[in-house]
Amino acid sequence: MFKLDRKLLTTASAAAALAIITAGCMGGSGSTSTGTTIKDGKATIDGGTTYPVMNNKTGPYYVNAEAISMKINNGRVPTANELAAWDKDVMPDGTGLPEGSGSVEDGEEIYEAQCVSCHGDFGSGGGGYPSLSKGNAVDLQKTLTNNRWKDPEADGPTRVFGSYWPKLSTLWWYIKDGMPHPKSKTLTNDETYALTAYILNINEFEIDGVEVDDEYVLDREKFLKVKMPNEAGFEPNIDGPNALNDVRTFYANPTNFGAIKVKVSERCMTNCQNDTVSVRRIANGGIKDFLPPIDSTRSLPKEEKVAINPVEIYENNCAVCHSGFLSPASAEWAGYTAKGMDKVYASAIHGTEGGMPAKGGTTLSDADFKTVVDYLVTGKTK
Amino acid sequence: MDNKKSNQEIDRRDFFKKAAMSVTAIAGTSLISSNARADDPAIMHHVPWGQVWGDPVTKNRYGVPSKYEHNVLRRNTKLLASGNFRASIAVTPIQESMGIITPNGLFFSRSHGGVAHVDPAEFRLMIHGLVEKPIVLTLEQLKRYPSVTRTHFIECPANGGQEWRGPQFNSVQFAKGFMSCAEWTGVYLKTILEDLGLKPEAQWMLAEGSDNSEMGRTIPIDKVLDDAMIVWGQNGEALRPEQGYPVRILLPGWEGNLCVKWLKRLEFAAEPWYCKEETSKYTALKPTGKAIQHFYANEVNSTVTSPSPEIDWSTLKDGDLIEIEGLAWSGMGTITNVDLSLDGGKSYVETKLKGLVLPKSWTRWSYMHTYTKGDTLLLTSRAMDDAGYIQPTIDQEVGVMGVESVYHRNAVETWEVNAKGEVNHVQIRS
Repeated sequence: MFKLDRKLLTTASAAAALAIITAGCMGGSGSTSTGTTIKDGKATIDGGTTYPVMNNKTGPYYVNAEAISMKINNGRVPTANELAAWDKDVMPDGTGLPEGSGSVEDGEEIYEAQCVSCHGDFGSGGGGYPSLSKGNAVDLQKTLTNNRWKDPEADGPTRVFGSYWPKLSTLWWYIKDGMPHPKSKTLTNDETYALTAYILNINEFEIDGVEVDDEYVLDREKFLKVKMPNEAGFEPNIDGPNALNDVRTFYANPTNFGAIKVKVSERCMTNCQNDTVSVRRIANGGIKDFLPPIDSTRSLPKEEKVAINPVEIYENNCAVCHSGFLSPASAEWAGYTAKGMDKVYASAIHGTEGGMPAKGGTTLSDADFKTVVDYLVTGKTK
Repeated sequence: MDNKKSNQEIDRRDFFKKAAMSVTAIAGTSLISSNARADDPAIMHHVPWGQVWGDPVTKNRYGVPSKYEHNVLRRNTKLLASGNFRASIAVTPIQESMGIITPNGLFFSRSHGGVAHVDPAEFRLMIHGLVEKPIVLTLEQLKRYPSVTRTHFIECPANGGQEWRGPQFNSVQFAKGFMSCAEWTGVYLKTILEDLGLKPEAQWMLAEGSDNSEMGRTIPIDKVLDDAMIVWGQNGEALRPEQGYPVRILLPGWEGNLCVKWLKRLEFAAEPWYCKEETSKYTALKPTGKAIQHFYANEVNSTVTSPSPEIDWSTLKDGDLIEIEGLAWSGMGTITNVDLSLDGGKSYVETKLKGLVLPKSWTRWSYMHTYTKGDTLLLTSRAMDDAGYIQPTIDQEVGVMGVESVYHRNAVETWEVNAKGEVNHVQIRS
């Protein structure tokens, strides 16, 4: 079986021998550690300590070592259909990516109908949701070395899909599984290809030397030829059969990730600072829009409001989309209320094809939600 | 009688006045004001709850906090919210935390598509890919495995991540409260795998949630076969929906985002998945232009929780002996030492660890301080762990990571106590 070489070290002698390696970094008050940063003779994957199960203990915890290493035959084998139904992930090499196709043109149409309210015109962002493009991906990838340490007013790095993400498969998979946010898993494979094509278009991609222009039609074969500008922009390496060793090696060196190791006896206790430091205070009042506001008093709360507050519900649930279109008391409402308030209520309560989620994603009663609709239409609360 | 009594009271009052004056003369400051000896109505009167029936035991079949604790709440800010607070975070009031356990109702809440409400009867966990035997488990079948119980913090690696370029939040809840600590109950993943048989080429495991974002992350086999758990218990009861009810992954010490909630599927493969949250986010961009991916463990960290910007020292009197208290934690091991600086990091003194000191858990530390009214202090804590790591200074960390990393900021943090005893968040840096 596979397992022997992967098992945790469980013999006391082996663990004791390994403990010597890190003994210089241990000690100090209150330590209950029997830990080590070495496992199976290799550095730990995260550069941290591990607590092998020894003598029915792991670190400070007792454990039924026999029970946790028994072969327990629970559950059942899934059917082929069940596996197919849930195994929908898409990997960079195309594993899991179905056949299909979609055009930039179709993608733009779907985007305008279902995505623009959160992601903004041409993927510019808005409502707190991420931007999908800031322009040419290849150019923007070069901004990733920008750093605002010396000059806080300088331009920072631009991290959007085109300039930052290492793999295209991530985009297709996430759109198919997680989008549109209020009603995910409703897009077909072709629609997902179309949206992918549109996002490649607004990030000014080329595939195999061909510009992804407004006429472009993306399919599986072309998809797998896409080169992401920042594919080599990440460390440690996680690809290939030696990936785990590469990760272990990376985290074995604290300077790779801004960490510092020191012996307890050698840590600095006096004269630890150079003269260049100063006290930096919060600028411009800082961020204060805390909900609810910071308050540590124990005085009795005010009487709870029985009625719902339509304005608050609007701000929290509706404004992200409705602030731009059909905002409170907007003249645009006339075109809808002309057909009768019952139709407006019904659309609001049950949702619409145009992207309005049922009851705006709230769990209010129909009657309560109608008061929210009333507020949107009239701009007034009763 | 009455006259005599009141005369005696006058005499006593004179005595205390004189005593107060003499103490004042000795200490050079007013320790006992004339108001201090007014009779306290809370003692002199019957209290309203002392003369009537309280609630019957039949009320509150599931208990709730005292109504007076209504300000001890998770809080959020629009800065850290996508749209309708469905891809957002609400953070723990660690200024009010006691000990090392966060009550379930105050455990920080982060989701990428809102808090899902999973029907336990329809919960299924599928485990497949590079295993000899794939399986599907119901919740009942999952909970039949032998359980283990562990106290671990979970921390969002963006804890403190808004402050790379300077302090922004005058609040310990927002500066350090993207984390909580609980006692978790579940099964080791390695126990389940004993029966399934992992194939030798398996290097990675995908953990996928059933929520609307189908949140997924790639986890290396090393962790799966070490201390990774599938948990269903949180502080002695079922997980809260915000923590992934009925079941989440727990990777002790690692990024909260890796501890996938509302768990649905585990798949083993030779190559990693490049999930959305491990590429577009949860990567730390360095000044070299390279970003660290698969940045697993939350590094050693600490903060002063008392005093805090929220609960300061403005009501302390000169000469009061006061405990400076805080939390230390490391996703890379067990806390061994916490040092405290009163001068912003020029010099440090050792503090005492308190209570249980557990691996990859919140750890309490304590230092007794005599408060001098009018003094200004710069309180900086600095923790070490048993892997040998020490918290860097801001300059040290930024020297390697720059200021654009967003995630995994663990440099020392400083509270400035001003002459009034008010506490403000500052940073000591070049």
